[in-house]
Amino acid sequence: MQKRILIVEDDIHISQIIKMNLNIVNYETTEVYDGLAALEAMKQEKFDLILLDVMIPRMDGFTLMEKIQPYGIPVIFLTAKNSVYDKVNGLKLGADDYMVKPFEAIELLARIETVLRRYGKEEHVMEFQNIQVDLDKREVTIQGEPVELTPKEYDLIVVLLKNKNIALSREQFIDKVWGGDYYGETRTVDMHIKTLRKKLQLQDHIKTIYKIGYRLED
Amino acid sequence: MKFWQKIYLFSILAFVLIFNAASIMVIERSHNTMLGQEINSALSQNMSIHSSVNAIVPILRIYDSIDYEKTILTNIAKEFVEKNSDDRIYLDIMNDTNRTIFSNTDFEMPTHRGELDKLAVEEIKYILRDIDQRTILFTSNITDINHKKYVFTYMKDVTSLYQERVDQYHFFVKVDMAACLLYMLIMFFVSRGLTKPIDRLNRTAQVIAQGGFSERVRLKSKDEIGVLARNFNDMATVVEDTINDLERNNQEKQRFINNFTHELKTPLTSIIGYANFLRTTKYNEELFVDGLNIIYSEGKRVESLSLKLMDLILLQENHFQMEEHDLGAIIAEIEPALKMKAKEKRIVIVTDCEEGRLLLEKDLIKVLIFNLVDNALKASAEQQSITICTYWRDSRYTLEVIDQGIGIAKEHRDKIFEPFYMADKARTKINNGAGLGLSICQSVASIHHAVIEVTSKENQGTTIGVIFDQIGPKGGLNP
Repeated sequence: MQKRILIVEDDIHISQIIKMNLNIVNYETTEVYDGLAALEAMKQEKFDLILLDVMIPRMDGFTLMEKIQPYGIPVIFLTAKNSVYDKVNGLKLGADDYMVKPFEAIELLARIETVLRRYGKEEHVMEFQNIQVDLDKREVTIQGEPVELTPKEYDLIVVLLKNKNIALSREQFIDKVWGGDYYGETRTVDMHIKTLRKKLQLQDHIKTIYKIGYRLED
Repeated sequence: MKFWQKIYLFSILAFVLIFNAASIMVIERSHNTMLGQEINSALSQNMSIHSSVNAIVPILRIYDSIDYEKTILTNIAKEFVEKNSDDRIYLDIMNDTNRTIFSNTDFEMPTHRGELDKLAVEEIKYILRDIDQRTILFTSNITDINHKKYVFTYMKDVTSLYQERVDQYHFFVKVDMAACLLYMLIMFFVSRGLTKPIDRLNRTAQVIAQGGFSERVRLKSKDEIGVLARNFNDMATVVEDTINDLERNNQEKQRFINNFTHELKTPLTSIIGYANFLRTTKYNEELFVDGLNIIYSEGKRVESLSLKLMDLILLQENHFQMEEHDLGAIIAEIEPALKMKAKEKRIVIVTDCEEGRLLLEKDLIKVLIFNLVDNALKASAEQQSITICTYWRDSRYTLEVIDQGIGIAKEHRDKIFEPFYMADKARTKINNGAGLGLSICQSVASIHHAVIEVTSKENQGTTIGVIFDQIGPKGGLNP
């Protein structure tokens, strides 16, 4: 089932780019441009997460936050303000995380995923073409047939699936799969991609993107 | 040592010294005077004895008998002693062989009496002697009777005088102690009272030093300390005002920076977001064109923001070459450009200008008019008109930009001059605005000593008037 995310952001362009990034990794989105419209939208639809700008017209983010609380919907604040006071205030009011503009799309996706997981709303099984990944068992199957993967290869295919249709750089792969304190060569990524392509028959889907890295495409 | 303690201690020291010295001098002087009187009276008594003896010397010469002389002298002495029996008076008569002829002393006469050694006839000498805890005044003279020298010694007990002096000292010590105690008590309150205002000043200064700038000294006295307190309060007021000014300035700057970062980060978020999206996702023509359009327009927004900001920074510098220009002519000069801009929205610009020669910075005035007309255009709908007019009234030159647009709501009216303030954020952004236009106008106006007046009715239009306060005859100006 697709997750529904409410984007409350008064800058149409920013709202647009968030929507585009979320849609591409299969989140469903609704955009509203002020606080009162956000309240309206919440009454009509059920959302799994709210992305909320602090400085929005008609009702500011902090006030809106108090109105959201009874719904029990996780909230990530989006704002250009990065003062400690605002962070503390936002988190005290029950925000689950905080993003300071400008931010990168994959960071936003990672945080959305973390918050959703905390609320037990993450997926248990991911599917791509004829491949199934069971996140609880850490098991990968092709048409029901299990495939042997090393732990790193498994982590790599999960990162690719979660950021489907988005190109990630070799550094970003290393950061997400091997961890920030890994000081190996980026060629390691190339080696693992090569074996993944072979083992999962993804030669046509894991694309090498010139000057950037790799992308899993439908 | 504290100041009040110094006053207290030194005044007490001075008082004790002067009071004691004066009292001792008075006591000693009165004692000496009394002693002098005693001595004088003793001398005169001696003289009277001497003269009464002298009176009978011729008789004694006739009889020329030692025994008779003795008897007579003893009689005179007895008579004299009896006459003065109340006083403690003693008489001693001695002949030239140092034998006593008469004596009523109740004490031992000193064996050697130095005053007699060089005593001449018809001369009286006196001396004070301490005998058996008594002080005796000795007055001696020698009388020649029949070529025999008799020593007459008249003595008086003056112990009481000395006793009196001692009594006076005793009394003085008591008075002295009482006076000192009283003085100490009074001086304690006086010195504390005098230095109390200084303590208060001190405490206030400490409070101010710790940041309580609104603290003041409450002193009503008219002496030097009162004047000091008033000056101190004046100083504190100036300091407080300056600090408040600085704080307000600082807050304004902080607000400006906060708004600026927000205004800068928002388009940057869009630009970076779209660029990254296009860079990392599969090519899709529709999204590609949309994304590039947004990057372009957001880039334009950053550009216009930075240009506006540069204007604003330039305006802070205050080095402007003011020259005499006709404002009407300047408006005529930029009219075509304004009309071009208005044409896009199919808005008509009407000008109605009187000639007005003022001291102006031509480029800044152009910026001012452009911004005002820009605002009017943004507020106007298609087919409406904007009027630019200038006129003289009460020897003041006024420039007005009048539109028929959406107007400014009351709650926004006093904030529109704040940098980055936008009455309608979404509309301002669609028009590539940054919320700096009126701040810039305000700065330009204040450089020209002009004030901006806003009259507005919602959905009926806004009139922005710039009133130049350069007094002078029509067409002229004051230097």
